[in-house]
Formats: sequence, C-alpha cells, structure tokens
Amino acid sequence: MLKIRNLRKAYGNYHAVDGLNMDIADGALYGFVGPNGAGKTTTIKIISGLLLPDGGTVEIDGMDALANPSQMKEKIGYVPDYFGVYDNLKVWEYMEFFAACYGLEGLMARRRSQTLLEQVGLEDKIDFFVDGLSRGMKQRLCLARALLHEPVLLVLDEPAAGLDPRTRLEFRETVRELNKQGMTVLLSSHLLSDLAELCTDVGIIESGKMLMEGEIEEIIEKIHISKPVIITIYKNMPQALSILKEHPLVRSISVKGQEIMVQFLGSERQESGLLTSLVEAGVQVKSFMREPGNLETVFMQLTSHEKERVVLSYEGESDL
Amino acid sequence: MKGNPIYKREMTVSSRSFRLALALLVFNGILALVALLNMYSTMVQVRVTAEIQYKSFLDLYIFVAVLEFLMLIFIMPAITAGAVSGERERRTLDLMLSTKMSAAQIVLGKLAASLSTMMVLIISSFPILALVFVYGGVTVRDIGILLVCYGAAALFAGSLGICCSAVFGKTTFSTVAAYGLMGIIVGGTYGINQLALFFSRMPGGAYLTSQTAETATGSSGGFLYLLLFNPTTTFVMTMTRLTGREQLGGGIVRWFGNHGESIVSRNWVGCSVMIQILMAALLVRTAVRAVGPGKK
Repeated sequence: MLKIRNLRKAYGNYHAVDGLNMDIADGALYGFVGPNGAGKTTTIKIISGLLLPDGGTVEIDGMDALANPSQMKEKIGYVPDYFGVYDNLKVWEYMEFFAACYGLEGLMARRRSQTLLEQVGLEDKIDFFVDGLSRGMKQRLCLARALLHEPVLLVLDEPAAGLDPRTRLEFRETVRELNKQGMTVLLSSHLLSDLAELCTDVGIIESGKMLMEGEIEEIIEKIHISKPVIITIYKNMPQALSILKEHPLVRSISVKGQEIMVQFLGSERQESGLLTSLVEAGVQVKSFMREPGNLETVFMQLTSHEKERVVLSYEGESDL
Repeated sequence: MKGNPIYKREMTVSSRSFRLALALLVFNGILALVALLNMYSTMVQVRVTAEIQYKSFLDLYIFVAVLEFLMLIFIMPAITAGAVSGERERRTLDLMLSTKMSAAQIVLGKLAASLSTMMVLIISSFPILALVFVYGGVTVRDIGILLVCYGAAALFAGSLGICCSAVFGKTTFSTVAAYGLMGIIVGGTYGINQLALFFSRMPGGAYLTSQTAETATGSSGGFLYLLLFNPTTTFVMTMTRLTGREQLGGGIVRWFGNHGESIVSRNWVGCSVMIQILMAALLVRTAVRAVGPGKK
C-alpha cells in the first residue's frame, strides 16, 4: 500500500527525516513509533501532501505520490494530532464543508456524512456546534471527516493525545473496526501499550531513520533473543560455565556471585534445551529466566541504546 | 466562486455572526446621522436665508464616498490579514490542504468572501448616498464609476492583507505588516513625490536645471508615476472628475509641479485601476505560493 524509499527532509542543518524507508502492506494496521522530534510528523505530513521532501520517493497504491499530489489526496485520509474545528459551524455543516472540499456535493455528501457520523457515534449531534463538542467527540468528528472520500489509507498522527482513557479505548476500537473492514491504517503514537495491542506491524524511527520495522511479534521475538538469560546456580558453577562456554548460541557470559548473565542467541525452544543440558550435566539451577520483551522495552532499547547498557551495568562482571 | 466551499463556508459563518449585523448598523447609523444632520442644516438655512445651498448635497455625496473609501482602505486589510493566518492558528489550514482543494482555491475563496462582506457594507449604504439624487447632480453612471474605483481599491487592499496573512504565520504580525505596507503605499508614494518636488525647487536642483521655462517651478519628475500604485490617488482623481472640483485633486499633474500632459495623466484613473488589479494578481500569486505545500 505504502512504500517509502530514502525519504529526506531537512530544516536548515537539522535533518528531520534522513533516508527513511518504510513499507506498509495492504490491510495492515501500522504503528509508527519514535521519541519526540524523531521525524514522525514530518514523514506523515509528506505522505499527506502537506510538505515537500528534499528527496526520496513515496508510492501509494503503486502510484508516485509526489508526482501526483491531487490523486494521492484522494487515497489518503489524514487525521492530525489536533482537532482543527471552526466556531459557528454545526456538525453537519462541518462535514458537508469538507465533503465539498473532496468534491462531494448535495445528497451524496449528506448521505456519506450521515453514515460516517453514525459510524463514529455522533449521529445525535449533527445540529450541535462543533466548538461545543467534547475532545473525544471532536476527535471522532475529525476521524469521520477524514473518511468522507473513502480513502484507502488512513493516516493518524498521535490521534489519542489528550484523550481520557475511556475515550482512547473507544477511539482505538473504532480504528480497529475500520482496519477489520479492510482499511490500511498508519498510526503514530507515543502510547506504546496502545500500539502493541492494536497494531499488526510497527516501525520505530529515531533521528529521521527507521531503526526497526516489521510485524509486531517478529520484532518482539528479535528483541527477546537480544535480552540476556539470567541463570542462578545453586551448585556446580564450574560445570555450568563450561557447558555455557561450549554452547554455539552463547555469545558472552558474565558472572556475579552465583548469577550468570548469558547473551544467548536462541529461541525459546533452544533456551529450554540449554536448561535441560545444564540439569543433565548435574548443575543445580535455582532459577533460569530471560527478561520478557515487549514493545516498550524494544522502543527503549532501540532509542536509548539500552542494548549495550544491559551487559555493562552488571557489577563485577567477568566476560569469559 | 459560488462553487468554492471556502467561500460558501465563510459566507455562512459571517452571516450567522453578530459582528456583520453590528458593523452594518454602526456604519450606516453614522452615515445616516451625518446625512440627516446635513439635510436638516440645509433646511434651517433655507428658512433663514430663503436660499437653497445645493452645494451641501454634493458635500454629502463627497463625505459618504470618502468615508466608504477610508473604510475600504483601513478595514479590508484587517479583515483579510487574518484570513489564512487564522486558519493556521485554528490549525484548519492543513486539513483543507489535505483535501482536493488547491492553495489557489483556498486563497481565492477567502479573498472573495472578504470582498463580498465589504461589498455588503458598501451597497447597504447606497440608500444614504442616493439622498443626493433628490436634488440631482450625481448620476447612476457616476456611482458606477465610483464602484469600479472601490472595487479596485478593495481588491488591492484585500490582496495585500491576504498576502501578508499567507506569508506571516500569526495574525498579529500579518495585520501589522498589511497596515505598514498600506501606509508605505499611501503615504510613502506621496512623501517621495513631496521630497522630489522639494529638491527640484532647491536652487541648483537637478530638476530645475533641466526644466524648460514652462516648468521652471520644478516637479517630482518620474516619481509621479509611483502614485499609480496609490489607491487614494485613484479615488481623489475619480472624485475630481465626478464632482468637477479641481481643488480636490487639482489634477495629479499639478499636485507635484508641472508635469505636462501625457497619455497616463489623461487616463490616470484607468491606468491606476489596471496597475492595482495587476498588483493584486501578483499579491494573490505570492499568497498561493506561501500557502501551498512547501518547504516549511
């Protein structure tokens, strides 16, 4: 659905987006994560046709989006991290105004607006002034607005910012429902827990570069194996160290008292095999565990170089 | 323009707002009060001197026309200076640009809505202006010519405001910039000509030495044509022609020394209206470029 290659955008000497690559498959619910200033909004603005890049390509549905901005806008529904509403305009007028901006007029615009307002649960608010709606309602209205022209790609830039937990949950459900109906969604957020539960794919960006991208389980698995296995030995430490040293999937070993920290590049099944071989060799193991990986730890690790710190922070370590 | 969604929305919102009704009431109230006082004083004079001062009706016409022109020049930049920057501040500009609307449609829709609002104010005051028809002296054609002059001035002032609004991010800055530029165009072109005339009249002045005996009193020279950009000059020239009062404008040619006759001075109103429309087009183009998806 969306293919970005070597996207670049600089503001003076500051490179907001620096050679970014991104792939979003049809029907994916893609979470776009990164710390503040990582380049998420700049990327989204380029995708939505609001900003011209300095270089690179953006393809949407197989079409060069930068060469055909008008056609591209027909394919994208954009919801920014703010509401953007007018005073003195009623909900139905707001919807019909944006419908007209997309070239929809008259009965067609009215019907489409009505359907979408029902979909986002605002059908009983059509005669309300937009300015008088609550934050959650405004956000749902913005979502309905972005869907007026039946886009194939919905781009949401931090849509849950400032919403209370209940409204956030409802909003998340609406997005999930849209995705189930076949719409491809690109969602940027700081709320990693939301993304982990909601998204099928994730891309982590920092300093304008894509650090990691793929299906969420794949990424968590990748980060899982990069976490150390911590083994506490009750008895027979030399035997344990000898087995670990000879294991082909062990990259490094650090020892602190009875605790061994092992950089083990194996899957969960191979972890279990390692434990079996230790026990079978007569090593008495008190505990054997790998720190669990989740999107939050992935994010922290990638964006703050946690990976290196995990090993180095152990006191009295002795790399073998 | 009727099909432009921005124009339609602006008209809906402004017609719903209390501000337009209030502006119509205050503006026409002031005009009506002055007009009725003027008529009353004429009637009182008739009772005292048994003489009707027809001149006072023409004064009324000039007063209303000048007031409307000043309103155009001073209110139009204020209305338009917030047009695009207001959308930016409300953060609705990006939403519009993410639709199929082009930057040109957005700018033109905004400008047309501001011009329409201004025209509502001007046309609503026509009944007061029409008081002069009771005694004659001003024809419908004269009013038509005045309308063309107003239209050009409004377009120019509006385009200037919308250009500043598009270029500057904040309404405060764009309003200051719009008034500053309007001040430079109105006062600056006049000042430059005064200065040029002053220097040309100094003993041994560059101009004086090159003057013929006929124009030995000096003149502002080529700087005179800067006044073609000045909508105030266009208005004064229009009023001079309509009222026949030479002392109003005295002909631009005589304002800043003897310039002699030329095609431009003979067709000053037409030329300046054309130049102001061209300037407006350039300003709108600049605004469109500033609004469109760019490097910012």
